[in-house]
Amino acid sequence: MAVTIDPIHQFELKPLVSLGHIGHQQLAFTQSALYMFAAVGVIALITIVATASRSIVPGRMQSLAEIFYEFIADTVHQATGDGGKRFMPLVFSLFMFVLILNLFGMIPYAFAVTSHLIITFGLAALVISTVVIFGVMKHGTHFFGLFVPSGVPKPLLAILVPIEVISFISRPISLSVRLFANMLAGHIAMKIFAFFVVQLLLAGAWSVLSPLPLFLTIALTALEFLVAALQAYVFATLTAIYLNDALHPGH
Amino acid sequence: MTISTEFVAGVIAGGILGWIVDHVFGTKPWGLIILLMLGFVAGVYNVMRVSGFTGARPGRRDRQEP
Repeated sequence: MAVTIDPIHQFELKPLVSLGHIGHQQLAFTQSALYMFAAVGVIALITIVATASRSIVPGRMQSLAEIFYEFIADTVHQATGDGGKRFMPLVFSLFMFVLILNLFGMIPYAFAVTSHLIITFGLAALVISTVVIFGVMKHGTHFFGLFVPSGVPKPLLAILVPIEVISFISRPISLSVRLFANMLAGHIAMKIFAFFVVQLLLAGAWSVLSPLPLFLTIALTALEFLVAALQAYVFATLTAIYLNDALHPGH
Repeated sequence: MTISTEFVAGVIAGGILGWIVDHVFGTKPWGLIILLMLGFVAGVYNVMRVSGFTGARPGRRDRQEP
């Protein structure tokens, strides 16, 4: 009996409503966009509705919102100092958006939006353009002192400055690829190990072994929950560290 | 995975930059070759920075001297 496996089928975009065409490219409201709207809805529920009562002794939802807020406020403060307070809303929004989308991806049959490179690159590009625009606005050309390491002999600067520039350009790439690769690899691994269970069950006497991949799938699911939360945290921390360069350029 | 991403990102950034330089200035293979090599260097540099080999990320407040 042939059972086919298609582990990347889950990442397919399905247009729900067509919004017309640009050239030959169809513009559509996909299930990806639907999940993003749902994530924003959940975040609004956690942060706005839950804290509406503003009780001094917080209820369940309010303390959840407070935990998220204080966690990110601490992260931002540690990375950027006092001047970073104004970036708190940006980092908090990014963290919640990525976290909720990652966790949505863990619901069976749901779609993991952050497993698409263009979504994560969009978020990373937002972060880096904020860093560059804010840095240039606040420090002018002094911001580009970021690319000149201090305490280095002059002739070496000819090599080191291009390396620093490339290293800076690689930041949005590594920021987006890290999140995307972790989500993609995790979902594919879960799918494949879950498929091993089915395959072993259909393999006659070998079906005795089928609980082994089942346990592995359960372990992987737990690991994926960890990865989902950890990658959102890593994304927020690195955003704060990069924003620190815009606040305090120079070495 | 986190650290390997840093390395790959450096190489990709160098490659893209070199490709753009070649297209703008018409210096067909040389921009790509030189900037791809610099991209490798930047990738290694990224990895060293992330793994704490150089002490700390530049610009970070809690800088530690090795």
